Amino acid sequence: MMAAEKPELSRGELLKKLRAEHAQTVERTQELLKDQKRIQRDICSFIRETPKSVPEIAKEIGLPANQVLWYIASFRKYGIVVEDGMCEDYPLYRKAEEN
Amino acid sequence: MSEKPKIAVYTCYCGGNISHTVKCEQVAKLLAEQPDVVVSRTNMSLCSDAGQSQIEEDIRELGVNRVVIGACAPSLHEQTFRKTVIRAGLNPYLYHHIGLREQDSWVHTCDADGATCKAVRLMAAGVAKARLLDPLEPIQLEAEKRALVIGGGVAGLRAALDIADQGLKVVLVEKTPFLGGRMAQLDTVFPTGEEAHILLADLIDKVVNHDKITIFTQTEVTKVSGYVGNYGIQLTQHSRGVSAENAKALQDACQQMVADEFNYGLTERKVIYQPYHGCYPPLPAVDWEHYNGEPININGKSEILKDEIQQFELSAGAVVVATGFDPYVPREGEYGYSELPQVVTLPQLIRHMALNPGAKSLEWQGHKVRDIVLIHCVGSREIEGIDEPQEDGQVNNYCSRVCCTATLHMIEELRENFPKLNIYDLYQDIRTYGRGHEDYYINALDNGTRFVRYHGEEKPKVFAAPKGDTHPVLVHVTDALTYNQELEIPVDLVVLATGMQPRQIDDLVKMLKVSRGNDRFLLEVHPKLRPVETAVNGVILAGTAQGPMNIQESISAASAAAAKVISLLGSGQVELQPFVAAVDPEKCNGTGACVEACEYEDAIALETFVEDGKEVTRAVVTPANCTGCGACVAVCPNRAIDVQGWTLAQYEAMVDAIAMDIVDLVEAG
Amino acid sequence: MNNVKVDALVIGGGIAGMQAALDLGDQGYQVALVEKEPSIGGKMITLSKVFPTLDCCSCITTPKMSAVAHHPNIQMFTYCEVESVDQQENGFDVSVLQKPRYVNADTCTGCRLCEYACPITVPSSFDRGLGSYRTARVPFSTAVPQIAVLDIENCILCGKCEKVCPVGAIDFTQQPETFSIDTTSIVLATGFELTDLDAKNEYGAGELPNVIDPLMMERFLAPTGPYGRVLRPGDGMEPMTIAYVQCAGSRDETLGIEYCSRTCCMYAIKQSMLISGALPLAEVTIYYMDIRTFGKGYEQFYQNAKAMGVEFVRGKVAKITEDENHNPVVRVERTEEGDVVERTFDLVVLSLGMVAGDPLSKFGLTPAEDGYIKIPSVNASPCETRRPGIFVTGTAGGPMDIVDSIVTASAAASAASAYIRSKTQVGIEEREVAHV
Ligand SMILES: Cc1cc2nc3c(=O)[nH]c(=O)nc-3n(C[C@H](O)[C@H](O)[C@H](O)COP(=O)(O)OP(=O)(O)OC[C@H]3O[C@@H](n4cnc5c(N)ncnc54)[C@H](O)[C@@H]3O)c2cc1C
Ligand SMILES: Cc1cc2nc3c(=O)[nH]c(=O)nc-3n(C[C@H](O)[C@H](O)[C@H](O)COP(=O)(O)OP(=O)(O)OC[C@H]3O[C@@H](n4cnc5c(N)ncnc54)[C@H](O)[C@@H]3O)c2cc1C
Ligand code: SF4
Repeated sequence: MMAAEKPELSRGELLKKLRAEHAQTVERTQELLKDQKRIQRDICSFIRETPKSVPEIAKEIGLPANQVLWYIASFRKYGIVVEDGMCEDYPLYRKAEEN
Repeated sequence: MSEKPKIAVYTCYCGGNISHTVKCEQVAKLLAEQPDVVVSRTNMSLCSDAGQSQIEEDIRELGVNRVVIGACAPSLHEQTFRKTVIRAGLNPYLYHHIGLREQDSWVHTCDADGATCKAVRLMAAGVAKARLLDPLEPIQLEAEKRALVIGGGVAGLRAALDIADQGLKVVLVEKTPFLGGRMAQLDTVFPTGEEAHILLADLIDKVVNHDKITIFTQTEVTKVSGYVGNYGIQLTQHSRGVSAENAKALQDACQQMVADEFNYGLTERKVIYQPYHGCYPPLPAVDWEHYNGEPININGKSEILKDEIQQFELSAGAVVVATGFDPYVPREGEYGYSELPQVVTLPQLIRHMALNPGAKSLEWQGHKVRDIVLIHCVGSREIEGIDEPQEDGQVNNYCSRVCCTATLHMIEELRENFPKLNIYDLYQDIRTYGRGHEDYYINALDNGTRFVRYHGEEKPKVFAAPKGDTHPVLVHVTDALTYNQELEIPVDLVVLATGMQPRQIDDLVKMLKVSRGNDRFLLEVHPKLRPVETAVNGVILAGTAQGPMNIQESISAASAAAAKVISLLGSGQVELQPFVAAVDPEKCNGTGACVEACEYEDAIALETFVEDGKEVTRAVVTPANCTGCGACVAVCPNRAIDVQGWTLAQYEAMVDAIAMDIVDLVEAG
Repeated sequence: MNNVKVDALVIGGGIAGMQAALDLGDQGYQVALVEKEPSIGGKMITLSKVFPTLDCCSCITTPKMSAVAHHPNIQMFTYCEVESVDQQENGFDVSVLQKPRYVNADTCTGCRLCEYACPITVPSSFDRGLGSYRTARVPFSTAVPQIAVLDIENCILCGKCEKVCPVGAIDFTQQPETFSIDTTSIVLATGFELTDLDAKNEYGAGELPNVIDPLMMERFLAPTGPYGRVLRPGDGMEPMTIAYVQCAGSRDETLGIEYCSRTCCMYAIKQSMLISGALPLAEVTIYYMDIRTFGKGYEQFYQNAKAMGVEFVRGKVAKITEDENHNPVVRVERTEEGDVVERTFDLVVLSLGMVAGDPLSKFGLTPAEDGYIKIPSVNASPCETRRPGIFVTGTAGGPMDIVDSIVTASAAASAASAYIRSKTQVGIEEREVAHV
């Protein structure tokens, strides 16, 4: 089994092997990260001053509303945005204060 | 108590259940100010592993020696946190639990400020009590490694077998002369089509031949004393009335006939009887309830049968209640029952089919049945204000769970045996929920059964048809499947799919001190946390005594009950909570008021000792028999008795804290 | 890793597996519990509140998880897959694969600093993809064990986690390891999966953003849910009209699932009641063929929902489409009125059914026609499979709710312990019984 190989490889070799094995996923994920960073920047700058609803954000940055909501949920979880009021049936979101 | 109290206080959000009303952070902050409190925290859910770890860490790292938790009701998680505290090396009774959810947030949802104030008071009282807590040790008792199983139906049999298979002794008690319960009255069973009596014979065989199981038939429990690990049980047994030698002759000679309840009154039997061929025990028995006491003549000798009642005493560590169900018996006139001879119950039809195997056509009282209607939910799913209540004022508002599949199973049998029969099924919802059950419904839809859906508010009506009609009975029903069309169905036989009711076991319920739900079935502690245990420690439920179930479910419940008995008694020891009376010998001068006030046998007594050469009388508690009710505490003129863990001093401290002005409370900090 | 020797191996750490392990452990048997996910808890830990008592789910589940983790007779192996099961003379030799967490399980304290440092956000399976977590993470706040896991498939190997970890627990060199468990008996508690949201073209084939599965709704209703409130996933609107489509994945010949999934009526009713609590102005409509509230106290639950104003409409939903604002449009044949109507809702929940969770072949078992484990003698031994010594419990043995899962778990524990005793002849007298 693979476990048996472990003692034969040094840490450096193992890391190299890992990089080689995952070259494709790393590349794909790096692309993803780029997108995520851009979207985060766009969303955050749009809601820095005034809180906005998901459809408003979607319209502004040109992303489907369901995807925007996913980002908002994630930003909420990690403290990047906060909920701030409602407009009709839509909660509004605002960039959290930096600390 | 020498060490200085270092109290940790936890206010749980309960995932919002508490924090939606109570301002937990505020509570925690105020409590932190209280004397002796070294840490006061909140937590999203304290019972989670992370929450428990926090408590452990505080005990270890901060030297906390008293723990106060405000969370859900103690019945839910007091035990959970006891174990947490033990893991951190602290005595489990140095922790006090406050039910902030049931006693506060859930009952004051509209008053957040009031609820928060109340939480502060309750928690402050908890802290006041915690300061005075003493370490206690649970009472360890030797447990009798024997279980009593009450009821010899499939559930009782299975529970007995599973317990005995683990090496514990079992006494199985059955009220009637024969084992098997209601399952013996079934013919073939869903979802497999197996024959009930073959399945049952197999199980009975294993039970009867198990060297750890003792069986008492014609026996009832007549006295219960003691507590978990050591129940004292009195059994009262009727005699069989016949012996292997004279049974046949007596039975042949016996002339007295009574309705045969095994066939739900469809047939008659002698008072010396065996319900069916192959039943266990194989020896006939006398039906003492109906025997008229007249002599029976055999070989010119006349013999009067005598019931010699015997009593047995035994001890058991745990009791399994498997007393089963009775089919609902419709009221006179309910859907024409007992007024029209063409109206029967499903259990009766099952017996009718079993009694007439291989019949070419379905006959009822000599008439061929061409059209038959089966009505679901009779005696079940009744609606308050619409249906007439039962004798005890309750309406049977529960679903009996087995009757839908049992009815469709019957329809399949009818269709197979009598292809020409017109079958109508009148239902509210078809509840063929189990594995393999839906197939019966699908088959019935395919085989020409006509389904009519009625509403519970508008039940079908059954009438005698006018003389000269083609059929003896008319059924009126509004069919919700065809836009509420009014139907009149002429039929030869109406079958009522009657539901389940618990058996009449009032005496047993009283003796065991178990509770019943609104549906009158026996009540479990919590359907998810302790689904087969009752609130009485050591009394466990199996099968339909707890609620409607089919055979498979009864067996699972019985095996689950067995698992609980084994965990409880397997080690030969049980632990009881130490919340019992304790006498301070310094203060006691032997007035005996406590002994008089105590309602429990052998819980407290006066004993004489020699002290400094003088004879003195003092009250002495037997912890195992004490329930901690506190009656003795109230009457002691010397305040010499306390219930451990709930002492008078602790109560006073709590009352003081609760009564304190909230402003003072805050300032006291 | 050393080989493990136990009396019973429980496969699957959902509520059924946990309960079976606890019962066996309480009886004094040595138990190994193998769970393929990084945390035990199963589906139940993702639920909001649970019928019929409406207890908050974590109040029931997390203490059980904790009890398993601390039980002196239970060894827990998470993030492990069973690879093969070989019959031995007196039991089974089970080969188990420990998947690499890329985190040292012995040193990780679950502090989550890695999670906060990790730059990649991915959809969280715990939130059915609607919430998120990081590539390095503790799977959810109440996970047991509280050990981080690194999802190498979504990793850029930047090493930020490694830098922040205060105990040096991140280990990119971890490899999969196999070890074997030598056991007398096995309890299968591998659970269920929902039928596919996209199975039916008539219901939008999974492409309508505001047509969701019921576990998503559980997450919305849970206090730790992805939005912190009930919103529709299409655009973050608070839904004011919500429909439930019953039997959306069950009792349906075209899907090959003809059986009843047994829990959907109750969870739909439960969710409706919880929605009324969360959104007092929302209107909930349930489209159904039969309401199957057969359990203890369940009929009353149904009647309460009716009294609270939940609308029950008998009818078969023929089609779901959407309008230009992604509002789902439900076309239903109402049997009582005898008409066909179309109605627009803000949100539609498909009451999907339950299918067996895991392929059975590696356990040497074949499924019955319904895809679940074949139980040769349900009316005599409801927990016994075709292979002596292998028992089944919970939804691995067919759809059922938590109450029934827990009872069958204790029953399976009972059956397994009888089997262990018959094989090893260990008397209960001789065994050490733990007091925990
Ligand atoms: C019409 C109908 C059809 C059914 N068909 C099926 C089917 O096809 N398949 C299926 O799976 N299930 C079926 N069932 C359900 C099945 O009958 C029950 O699940 C099963 O019989 C329950 O067993 P039990 O042991 O819980 O109760 P019971 O069979 O009622 O046994 C209880 C026993 O306890 C004894 N007892 C009662 N009180 C006392 C006392 N105080 N002291 C001592 N003993 C006492 C009784 O005499 C009895 O022997 C059907 C039920 C009905 C009503
Ligand atoms: C939307 C919804 C709401 C519900 N609400 C309620 C409710 O309110 N009340 C109620 O009583 N019931 C409810 N239920 C039903 C309840 O979810 C189930 O009864 C219960 O979760 C079943 O538990 P289980 O342990 O059998 O299965 P699962 O929870 O599926 O657990 C199985 C476990 O085994 C693991 N596993 C699977 N295969 C393997 C393998 N090969 N190796 C190792 N591990 C493996 C899985 O990862 C999982 O952890 C609901 C169901 C749904 C879908
Ligand atoms: S099982 Fe069917 S017939 Fe029996 S009460 Fe329930 S719904 Fe009515």
